[in-house]
Amino acid sequence: MTATAARPSNSRGPRVRAPRGGRLRLPAVWRTPLAIVGAVIALAWVVVAFTAPLWVPYPPDAQMLPRLLPPGTDGAILGTDALGRDLFSRLMSGAGVTIPLSLMLVAASVVIGTVIGASAGYFGKWVDEVLMRITDLFMAFPTVILAMVVAASLGPSLFNAVIAAIVVSWPQYARVTRSLVLGLRGQNYVIAGRLLGHSPLRSLLADIAPNITGPVVVLAALDIGSAILLLSGLSFLGLGAQPPTAEWGSMISSALQNFDAWWIGLFPGLAILTVVMAFNFIGDSLRDALDPSSRTERAASGVVAAPKTEDEALKGTGASA
Amino acid sequence: MRTPRLAAIAFAAVAALSLAACSGGNSAAPSGSAGTSGGSLVVDSGFTIETTDPGHTYDPTGNMVAKALYETLVDFQGSDVSTPIPGLASWTQNDAATEFTFTLEDGRTFSDGNPITADDVVFTMDRVKGMTEAKPNFLLTGITVSKVDDKTVTFASEVPLLQLPAILANPALGIVNSKVVQENGGSTTGTDSAQSYLDGASAGSGPFVLESLDLTSQIVLTKNPKYNGDEAAAYDRVVIRNVSESATQQINLRGGDTMVALDLNGDQVSELGTDFTVDSVPSGQTIFLLVNQDPAVGGITSNVDFASAVRSALDYDALLELAGSGAAQATGVIPPGFLGALETGTKQDLAASKAALAKSGYDGSTVKLQYPNDYPVGGVEFTPLAERVQSQLQAAGINVELAPAPFATELDSYVGGKEAFSMWFWGPDYADSANFLPFAPGLKVGLRAGWTADKNSTIAGLATAAQTSTDETERKANFTAFAKAMQESGPFVPMIVPGSNIATAKSVTGAVYNSVWTMDLAELKPAS
Repeated sequence: MTATAARPSNSRGPRVRAPRGGRLRLPAVWRTPLAIVGAVIALAWVVVAFTAPLWVPYPPDAQMLPRLLPPGTDGAILGTDALGRDLFSRLMSGAGVTIPLSLMLVAASVVIGTVIGASAGYFGKWVDEVLMRITDLFMAFPTVILAMVVAASLGPSLFNAVIAAIVVSWPQYARVTRSLVLGLRGQNYVIAGRLLGHSPLRSLLADIAPNITGPVVVLAALDIGSAILLLSGLSFLGLGAQPPTAEWGSMISSALQNFDAWWIGLFPGLAILTVVMAFNFIGDSLRDALDPSSRTERAASGVVAAPKTEDEALKGTGASA
Repeated sequence: MRTPRLAAIAFAAVAALSLAACSGGNSAAPSGSAGTSGGSLVVDSGFTIETTDPGHTYDPTGNMVAKALYETLVDFQGSDVSTPIPGLASWTQNDAATEFTFTLEDGRTFSDGNPITADDVVFTMDRVKGMTEAKPNFLLTGITVSKVDDKTVTFASEVPLLQLPAILANPALGIVNSKVVQENGGSTTGTDSAQSYLDGASAGSGPFVLESLDLTSQIVLTKNPKYNGDEAAAYDRVVIRNVSESATQQINLRGGDTMVALDLNGDQVSELGTDFTVDSVPSGQTIFLLVNQDPAVGGITSNVDFASAVRSALDYDALLELAGSGAAQATGVIPPGFLGALETGTKQDLAASKAALAKSGYDGSTVKLQYPNDYPVGGVEFTPLAERVQSQLQAAGINVELAPAPFATELDSYVGGKEAFSMWFWGPDYADSANFLPFAPGLKVGLRAGWTADKNSTIAGLATAAQTSTDETERKANFTAFAKAMQESGPFVPMIVPGSNIATAKSVTGAVYNSVWTMDLAELKPAS
């Protein structure tokens, strides 16, 4: 708490005084405390996710320690679970399960969503109608319930949970992309390209894609946190990772059976909290950096105190997700 | 998707707070009852009860309540269910074990003061026999009950039925006051409608009478003033509350809000410390692995050699560790404490396992282990147990993939014999080893493992011999032979008999677990 509180005030100080184009050539939005905190935490977790098997003290599934050791005893930094597995090793290995899959599922949703949204927006008429009504159909269901239905009908497994999560998360990209493409379709340079005989594909890729990348990337960055929550949620409900896979959601679920051993549930919970917050911070900062409309709003609002803008950005995140 | 999650967390917090508030306000603490008789007893249990009509009772909570409200002809002492003792009646049997004559105890009365007669016994039994849809109905299949005189009743059966006394100890067969029940819709012809009356009042001779019943929150019993047996209630009032979470029961017990907690698991009782009394004994349930013998279902693992390989690959002490206090290793399909149970269980023997595995033709492929993941038995969660089995089998060269599913989803394929390799449990319907004969080839549980009678006629013969024995010694030998043969060449791997833990505050003594009725409330007394 104090560490994060201290860091912003430190970094904000020099930022105000630093001359433009100083030693750090990062854009101003990247030097906000939220962006730095988010990036550091997220980067740390990503590094953990890909390197954990190399340095964790025990294999994540090895039942070689006494059961239910409290944190800090006998070399188990975070204690052990009901089967005598080292919680620290499981927690770190769990990052390697959740984070890459969440990134993959967001990437897949982005691809599916933008292709559908761009087609609908570009071609319009009945294509638009059909594709958007399908999108509405998917959006009409509550996210978690639909994901549960998909995961339950495919059979519980991590792979199927990812599919379920893709099914529920592509529609938002389709909607955003469609609305952007609708606006760009009538722009002079797009029409000029079409008059030059560009195929719809070339027109979309060359003229339109560069203009929608920013907002879609922002949306994707903000969505990573939700994807992690959804995946762990499905595993918590038993529809995602199957035992004995070390996955944060299923680790929390197993903590329910040992209520007195608070450490079993607390640490995976904190892991989810930190990684989701980190990706949301990054998403917010990306929005400030890449989303032209939000930048214009900022400029238009003129001399608004920086902290207030951050608050608004946070609120905006909550509303858009 | 973030908002519902937040809402859920907030809701859980509010629910936890309000629950805590409720239980705080609800404390029916004993008011200066220590040392003297009387006062109130508060018991926390996860309710399974459906009715307080004994004729329809077939669940743990229901049995415990029926045991307090009604008396059975046969009784058990404490937690020993291997030796039936006289309850309302003593009995003699003929040599063929087909006819049992019960003589009622003299001078015993119902809670309305009327004497208990042979007519009440016959009515009780005929009422259960008449209600074909009632769950305890099967207990009396093939049994004819007839009155000899006012104090004497005979039970006759076509086949030898040495387990009859154990069957009659089931609280579902508690003797009801035939006059009262008949006045309120009771009948023996199958048109019985007395259940609604018996849900509001009791009509028995037990140490307690029913004050109120709420199937979802609590049951209140008061002392039966007309009780004249030898197990009079020590408390004036007993409140049994529905607390489904064992963690909440533990909190209630620690906070002094409840005096008895019935559903704590092994870890929870060991956390209680020395301020509480814990009675931990093995329950009658057995958790076992099933290896399907039908090649169409089990494929490469469908032979008893694979089952043998699994049986000797497991480290039973390490499995027991997960079950906590009171649990015991299952020495065979007949759990310890029952007639004919084997003395010692299988020991881990990796060499024997390797040999059996080679014989079975197992090729190292991954075998799916199916089990219900939301139905702990005796406080033992199946998921950690399955994870440990998986890791032990891995060490023995058997690759296992876990495939858990909710109980309701999994049950059908288990009962239908569609599972190649799975983990299930079996509990006796009444306290007799005859309840474990269904594991035999061609019978109920055997068929669930695709084990038809022709696959092992020797064991099928042993089961029949045990079923039809007419002499106690011979019967015991037959059961032992059956259990031994099952361990040597059966498709089942009995693993654990979970413990049953009853935790009580120091102010209460006498709580003893019994596998038929969980706990006899009349045995509980205030500590002096």
